[in-house]
Amino acid sequence: MDVVVKSKLAGLILALSIIFFGLESSYSILLFLIVMLSIGIPHGSVDHIIAFINPKARKFDSKLIFYTTYLSLIIFNIIIWVLSPFLGLLVFLIISCYHFGETQVIGYNPTDNKILNFVIGANILLSLFLNNIVELQEILYIIPQFATLDLSAFDSVFFLLISVGILMLSIVNFDIKRKVPLYAEITILYMVFFHTDLLTSFALYFGFCHSLPMLMLEFKEFKTENFIKFYLKTLPFTILSIFFGFLLYQFNNDLLTSDNLILFVFIVISSLTLPHVFIMKDFVKDK
Amino acid sequence: MLNFILAGTIEPGDFTGFTFFIGSVSMLAATVWFLMQHGQVDKKFKDSMLVAALITGIAAVHYFYMREQWTAGLGSPTELRYIDWILTVPLMVVEFALLTGVGMRKLFWASVIMLVTGYFGESGVTGVLDAQTWGAISGLAYFWMAYEVGCLSIFGGPSGAVGNALTSGSGKIPEAGRMLQWFVLVGWAIYPIGYMAGTEGWYSFVAIDEGAMNIIYNIGDAINKIGFGMAVWYAAKS
Repeated sequence: MDVVVKSKLAGLILALSIIFFGLESSYSILLFLIVMLSIGIPHGSVDHIIAFINPKARKFDSKLIFYTTYLSLIIFNIIIWVLSPFLGLLVFLIISCYHFGETQVIGYNPTDNKILNFVIGANILLSLFLNNIVELQEILYIIPQFATLDLSAFDSVFFLLISVGILMLSIVNFDIKRKVPLYAEITILYMVFFHTDLLTSFALYFGFCHSLPMLMLEFKEFKTENFIKFYLKTLPFTILSIFFGFLLYQFNNDLLTSDNLILFVFIVISSLTLPHVFIMKDFVKDK
Repeated sequence: MLNFILAGTIEPGDFTGFTFFIGSVSMLAATVWFLMQHGQVDKKFKDSMLVAALITGIAAVHYFYMREQWTAGLGSPTELRYIDWILTVPLMVVEFALLTGVGMRKLFWASVIMLVTGYFGESGVTGVLDAQTWGAISGLAYFWMAYEVGCLSIFGGPSGAVGNALTSGSGKIPEAGRMLQWFVLVGWAIYPIGYMAGTEGWYSFVAIDEGAMNIIYNIGDAINKIGFGMAVWYAAKS
């Protein structure tokens, strides 16, 4: 069994445990933070090494150019969020759709179809948001176009149905190697999205279907003897990212002074995601 | 949220609650069985066995939820049932595509139409068309699916591409296919009955008690889902 499947299975077992035994919503922020700090951020904390050891990666003349470009993209993204939250969200969604999709279809995409990557990622994010749409409305209150939508006429089954319908049509209309296993895999995710709240859903998906498989693939790429040694290499930039988060929180502007910590974390994640996506795009090419 | 250890106990004489319990544990047992068999069957049937396990696994989760709702006295768990069906029905139809290698597109389309229009009819969310019209559209999609998988061929009638591929399949696929066709034709017929019992229309004379309806659904679901997997396993064991 390969590392990607093992990682996803670990997530599935955890998800089922949460569904069966129940998790109080007050603990979901804790689960989210644990997953983000232990798996989510570390999977992007070796980008500076991946960018140079991967022979298929885009070329950076020096580490200085790499870091400058990387940090510029992070700052650029924060500026977008501050100037226009709607545009910030849009950029994050487009980038995330592609990025989540390309890692989800590793082993399923025979023609390296970029549109398929985007569509599968969009399906997953759409389902995550649709199945927790009321919560999402509360979080994204700064986007009036969305916050004022009246969703009272629809019940949760409707949104699940829409997600599954779109997924089925996406699966049949693309050239996918082993369509059924991919469909089945995403169906389980949809069940988890439906039965858990937004933070738990995102933590389970992002942690175990995205970050952990990528972390394991990176470990393989590094050819380090044991996982602990590899994991230690992720720590400097993980700590730096957390520090960056705190710094951003301290020097917040009007947007960040809100009590909405989830939105703040959302912005931090989206800012870290933007440069990471470009590095991973090259990394997953031959996977 | 569910906590299955603390889930309510079934009162003596609550036969409906008992069928929820039987439904949940039998689905769970079937999931374990299919997963164990996954390692025993030929490589080309592994995906089929995994899907069979997923179908019963997803159903087991929802039956635990449904049992809790029922035993807590919160009424018929219609919403949970729909969630279960939305997730498992497409997986059941892909079993046909896995066994034959054809027809996934048509079967997916048919199941999308069947589920969406069925939901529109039962919930009344659209505000256009009445329940019986939505039900008729949903029924047509079901008959299209039944035709495609060759249910009519049981009586010597015509068959779609999937049904033809089942008939000409190797090993025990034709026998397993015939079992699956019976499940679609007879087993799935309980769902329109439930729809008619729960909505207004020319069929309003069909009045079934809530508890009795749930018993029919629970037994039907267990037979359909576990039976579907067993039929696939039968083909795989050859």
